[in-house]
Amino acid sequence: MTLRLSLVVSLAAAALAAAAAASMTLGAVHIPLQQVLDALTGAADPGPLRKIVLDLRLPRTVEALSVGAALGTAGALLQAALANPLASPDVIGVTGGAGFGAILILLVFPSSIALLPLGALLFGLLAAAIVFVVAWSGPNPGGIGRLILAGIAISALFAAGMSTLMALHPDRVPSAIFFLVGGLTTSGWSQMSVVWPYLAAGFVLAAVLVRPLDRLALGDDVAAALGARPRLIRLGAGVAAALLAASAAALAGLVTFVGLFIPHVVRLAAGTASNWFVVPASALCGAALLLAGDTLARTVMAPIELPVGPLMVVLGVPLFLWLLRRAV
Amino acid sequence: MSEAPLLDARDVRVEIGGTPILHGADLAVAAGELVAVVGPNGAGKSTLARAVAGLQKTVGGSVRWSGEDIARLRGRRLARLRAFVPQRPRVPAGVTVRDAARIGRSPHVGPLQRMTRADHEAVERALARAGADQFAERALTTLSGGELQRVQIAVALAQEAPVLIADEPTAHLDLGATAGLARLLRGLTADGLAVILVVHDLALAAAVADRVVVMADGRSVATGSPEEVLHPERIAAVWRVDAALERDAEGRTALRVGWLEDLRASFVRVP
Repeated sequence: MTLRLSLVVSLAAAALAAAAAASMTLGAVHIPLQQVLDALTGAADPGPLRKIVLDLRLPRTVEALSVGAALGTAGALLQAALANPLASPDVIGVTGGAGFGAILILLVFPSSIALLPLGALLFGLLAAAIVFVVAWSGPNPGGIGRLILAGIAISALFAAGMSTLMALHPDRVPSAIFFLVGGLTTSGWSQMSVVWPYLAAGFVLAAVLVRPLDRLALGDDVAAALGARPRLIRLGAGVAAALLAASAAALAGLVTFVGLFIPHVVRLAAGTASNWFVVPASALCGAALLLAGDTLARTVMAPIELPVGPLMVVLGVPLFLWLLRRAV
Repeated sequence: MSEAPLLDARDVRVEIGGTPILHGADLAVAAGELVAVVGPNGAGKSTLARAVAGLQKTVGGSVRWSGEDIARLRGRRLARLRAFVPQRPRVPAGVTVRDAARIGRSPHVGPLQRMTRADHEAVERALARAGADQFAERALTTLSGGELQRVQIAVALAQEAPVLIADEPTAHLDLGATAGLARLLRGLTADGLAVILVVHDLALAAAVADRVVVMADGRSVATGSPEEVLHPERIAAVWRVDAALERDAEGRTALRVGWLEDLRASFVRVP
């Protein structure tokens, strides 16, 4: 690994450690780092502080970094698999599907609010599944153009369903706003306990696909001539991205833009497009950025919690534009 | 030359979306030989190259690599027998020339393995042989057309396959870059490789090829040395142009073309 790549990884890791420390110590009650560490290692006495650390702040921190890592990884996978710098989880319909699933629970079945993460997860995966079935049937299965167009069409369909539900239940719409703009909530481990297997499957699949994805860089013909199976690799990357993005939506609502811009930040900062670096580094940077953003969102105007989604966009866009101007 | 040809493809048939594209084409190549596939636009040259390379499904005929049926050769095993340089490769951002050549080495590296020292050496040899080592650190997006083609050849050479198939590698190159690439491909045959060159420039084909395969309307209609095959009657029949190939004592070739003349009535259609 060159010096520049090591520097990017070190900076992201340091940012992640700092964000994790801030996320665990800051809040309505300030808990010194030493007490946090004691609570985590089991050295602390049972009491309210330990309870805050283990049952409130730890799950929130784990959720934030999982969502950031999942969105960063999903974006990097899709941009590589679709050979398109504009690709993000929105493109394969996951965001639209997850939004519809969540709105369905929030507006039509508000008494079953506990099903919210499951609804977002399953409808996100359903939307992606429809997109994949359309894109992988007929002549030239797995073509990039058809995949993206199918994704846009399915996204539009679920967005239409979502706005129809909102028009039918205008009185309940305010309860859905936090989900729609994207934000984490402090709710212990309940959401994570639903989502973690999908998240884990997505990360494992992503790790397996990192090297095969690099073989797609010179186009499908070169990849196929080298003995790779470009369409299968693309499908695998799509499935992994769908699992990760749907899990992220189940945990944090519709946080957009992060999946698009994190991989670009990594590529521009590191000066390489090799996926063996970009995919894991996007996971690391995504985790660091979302964790820092979430900590800021819940402390800057405390006791009011800002939604992390818009805050990420507000903080991310200037960084993105600055890097974009320097890009060759 | 070895006894069994490296590639022996007979009566290859291809349909795309139910439409027959190849109706029966033959192609063979032996070690140290350069075979040019020529023909008008749409005659099926690229389709034949892709079919024998295993990139295009066939509906009939046989394709044998070193005596083995292509249906039994999948993935990385086939990739060690032939390299393929496509007509329009993708030029991704953020990828250097050396990165690209390393991708070419992937058939020798298992899915969960890292490249060994021998693999890295093979990549450097390929870059040097293709003349791409001078700009190995540059990004693909900064290269000229001629440099890009050298990179594509380097990617193929990193595979260390005995046969290299190149689909119109000179299509968009200027005269100097074309001549440079022709010398490179001819030099590879001197190294012992077999080269299949899909090309529409008849003067170039005549200058570099040991054998020429003429494609017309999805069939291979003639095979032989350039002099045997590319005579004015066949050029008239296949390309519908009055033209004659000339070669001087130094091996320079030229195509004399009656650009504005109608075909002479005396020409009969020679299939």
